[in-house]
Amino acid sequence: MTAAPVRAAAGAVSGGLVAEVTNLHVGFTRSGRRIEAVRGLDLEIRAAEVLGLVGESGSGKSVLSLALLGLLPESSQPRTSGVVRVAGTDMLTASPQVRRQVRKDALGAVFQDPMTSLNPTMRIGRQVAEAAGSGTEALRLLRAVGIPEPERRLDSFPHELSGGLRQRVMIAMAVAGDPALVVADEPTTALDVTVQAQVLALLRRLRDDVGCSVLLITHDLGVAAQVADRVAVMYAGRIAEIGPTPTVLRAPMHPYTTGLMRSRLSLTTERDRPVETLEGGPPDPSAPLPGCAYAPRCPLVMEECREVLPDPEPAVGHDDHLRACLADSSRVVELAAPPRRADVLPSPREAARPGEPGLAARVSGVEKTFRVRAGRGRKARLAALRRVSLDVRPGESVAIVGESGSGKSTLLRVLAGLETHERGDVTLGGSTRPQMVFQDAGASLTPWLTVGDLLDERLRTERRPGGGKLQKGERRQRAAAALERVGLPAAVYDARASELSGGQRQRVALARAVVVPPDVLLCDEPTSALDVSLAATVLNLVQSLRHELGMAVLFVTHDLSVARVVADRIAVMYLGRLVELGDAVELIRAPKHPYTKALLAAVPDFGVAPPQLKGEPASPLSPPTGCAFHPRCPLATPDCADPGLDVPLERLRHGAELLADGDERRVACIRPKEL
Amino acid sequence: MLLLIAKRLAAVVVILLALTAVLFLLQHISPADPVKTMLGPGASQELVAQTRRELGLDDPISVQYVHYVGHLLHGDLGTSYRTRRPVGTDLATFLPATLELTLFALVLALVLAVALAVATTLNWPGAGAFRLVLLVGAAMPAFLLAIGGIILFYKQLGWLPATGRTDILDAPAGPTGLLTVDSILHARPDVFVDALRHLLLPGLAIAIGPAVSIGRVLRSSLVTTQRTDYTRTARAKGLTEVQVMRRHVLRNSVGPALSMTGLQVGLMFAGVLVVELIFAWPGLGQYTAQSIPVGDYPAIAGVMLLLGGAYVVINTVVDLLQAAADPRIEA
Repeated sequence: MTAAPVRAAAGAVSGGLVAEVTNLHVGFTRSGRRIEAVRGLDLEIRAAEVLGLVGESGSGKSVLSLALLGLLPESSQPRTSGVVRVAGTDMLTASPQVRRQVRKDALGAVFQDPMTSLNPTMRIGRQVAEAAGSGTEALRLLRAVGIPEPERRLDSFPHELSGGLRQRVMIAMAVAGDPALVVADEPTTALDVTVQAQVLALLRRLRDDVGCSVLLITHDLGVAAQVADRVAVMYAGRIAEIGPTPTVLRAPMHPYTTGLMRSRLSLTTERDRPVETLEGGPPDPSAPLPGCAYAPRCPLVMEECREVLPDPEPAVGHDDHLRACLADSSRVVELAAPPRRADVLPSPREAARPGEPGLAARVSGVEKTFRVRAGRGRKARLAALRRVSLDVRPGESVAIVGESGSGKSTLLRVLAGLETHERGDVTLGGSTRPQMVFQDAGASLTPWLTVGDLLDERLRTERRPGGGKLQKGERRQRAAAALERVGLPAAVYDARASELSGGQRQRVALARAVVVPPDVLLCDEPTSALDVSLAATVLNLVQSLRHELGMAVLFVTHDLSVARVVADRIAVMYLGRLVELGDAVELIRAPKHPYTKALLAAVPDFGVAPPQLKGEPASPLSPPTGCAFHPRCPLATPDCADPGLDVPLERLRHGAELLADGDERRVACIRPKEL
Repeated sequence: MLLLIAKRLAAVVVILLALTAVLFLLQHISPADPVKTMLGPGASQELVAQTRRELGLDDPISVQYVHYVGHLLHGDLGTSYRTRRPVGTDLATFLPATLELTLFALVLALVLAVALAVATTLNWPGAGAFRLVLLVGAAMPAFLLAIGGIILFYKQLGWLPATGRTDILDAPAGPTGLLTVDSILHARPDVFVDALRHLLLPGLAIAIGPAVSIGRVLRSSLVTTQRTDYTRTARAKGLTEVQVMRRHVLRNSVGPALSMTGLQVGLMFAGVLVVELIFAWPGLGQYTAQSIPVGDYPAIAGVMLLLGGAYVVINTVVDLLQAAADPRIEA
């Protein structure tokens, strides 16, 4: 098979389809269990469209992408039926050679993590040339995807590039040879938010230039909303709803889409009540239900739903908008109406015990430098924290927001005593050590210990008020109480981490942190590895624990929507420094520092085309002189680059009339008047 | 890279000093008396005492050690009590045979290891049987393998010779001392083939154990690399499986196998010394075996220094190769 049939498919662009999936079933056998990953899926990808495929983990969206690429892993013994037609070839039944040729001629792929998706031992130029056919073409592609100084980059290795540049290299390989379809599986999930906006814009521009279709797989409705022409929502291996992006997002016609939209945090989510969650979890893929897979979680569930598997059918009045739901569409529309829930969280201010003197934690002028290898045997100094000062009041929740390399996690680790610091002071107010919850709950629980062992370990060092160790029975009781507090069944006590789901593991991590209630709870991106619905439940849990136990919470996140919901105050970090600090709601409403503004503008949301911040965060190995943000700052003047310049975080007085009462905004900028 | 080499040179010095120190301690403890060996059982008490004095064996052990190291710094390894020749000369005589056998076994081990790893990873036909044969071989100690090989291939089948380096009497004796190389230099294909035939049995006996160790490590890293995201990227580009294996998988998998090779070389030295005895191979193994019973400490020390130095050199080469294979590693 040569390029000829592919050209034919690409030629059929006008109104044609680049890929057509018909009644696709994919099953795997994993450790003896049969798993149904895709269960009767129909999907058309039209010529030159960006199709956003949205779904939670386990919905089968990545399996679909591998099926399209003809790369279903042999080791998982896939069982397939149906047709996956790409460029006129069925990628399920064609021989390996034919599938390979289709991948070469008609397909491109961009994967989630550009660090692991590029060969670490091969130069960029060669890797792109492998797909492009020649070095000249590779150079042209690198230039086309906006890599600065592409001639020089040809000889770089992947680890010498930043995350955003690496993903651009991936995209260059994907569009090499003018493919008919580019499959992009979570292409921006591993990237910083300002870089994410750039990469999404690039994908869309390439679609316009190359004329290829893009299947954009994402878990984030906001990302799909930004670039997709159509959106498909996937649940438990089937399409729940598909239609033009504005229609699906403004008037969802499937209860699952509605649920996703409502549990999604945005910059306007209400703060004083628990975040809306999707009840229950995704269905067990090894035991598919006879009826609609969403039935157990669906607020509109009817008797019928449990027996009949709904097929996607046109929604009333929209030929192009399909939904797989038996419920009347008017009932789904009602569901999307504003929340009726009345349970309001106790006011954080009450819990904050305002009369109490002292601070839960005080960080003043802390500096932390790592010594890292920097090529050719030289050691380099990585300034992770540069004179950071922050006070945390008892019971208060402070979110630390920043992109990768901003030092936000280091600050948390210094507070937890997991890292030392060179200069400055860390004072802890309470009598207990701070406890920490990590991003990857699975990896932070020792795999061979049971949950009971993990909790018991923490309790063993605990003393009774009168002195003396806790007896075994008491410890068991306290552990059970902690599990109950985080909403886990008592049976979890005897389980190991591997037997728990992602959400349960994060709950266990929280239980371990609060089994002896600390004065300060440190959370390092505890929700960023979780699906939207799970993230919402974990956020609610952190909030309710904080109120029940009166802990101060320091919450590190890269997501401003999350920060706004969990925190009383937000601290924004850039390259090891605090650049803005203020009341959470006010800081989001009226950001002052140019970086905060850019960060906010880059948050993907419905119907917003973000203005793009130029460049990427500089390397903390060589932070720019003066104000570290000046190379990307729209307000920067030559003064900002002055090596002698040290911009402290200062109370904003100029322009303060724009701030709400009681907003003690602090900003690190030499020109506060213009903010 | 220069820094690494400098560090390793320093390591060689420290290791060799430690080795000689241990050896001197052993000599002190050992009941074997080298002077008796030198002079024979009939020597008079006076002569023995005089020789002991001349050799410096009456001095405290620390003084002897300092003397030895002092001479070592001038490149003098001492004189063998047994052969009465400088140890350096002896080593130069016996080293080439051992070097040839070890290098041959190393190459054989690497070839077998790569074949084993690639065949089982890609599930080639016959890979299972191949793996079984190697595993059974690796389960046996080298000397048993050697004896078994002689019985089967020499005694029963008569395919391969069992002793020495060559049966050809006028085989060239220079310039490298490596018979296979010298035969090529002298344009003697008959000698080359004969030398290879002689190398095969002892080489296999030494190589099979390391081959399986290296092969298993290589296989597990091949399997891991095959599941990496960048291998998936390579496949998504539409490269053939052979291209994927050659360009993307192999190079990223050699690191652990190289480390294992470095470790196995140490074990191979031990194997060589034993196997040389069985095959009457005129190398350092023979030399050492004859030196140990008579307490010829300068000779034993010379061999140990040589092998210790070689071990460090080979592991340095391994580190440099790893740095060459992976640009993220700083040499």
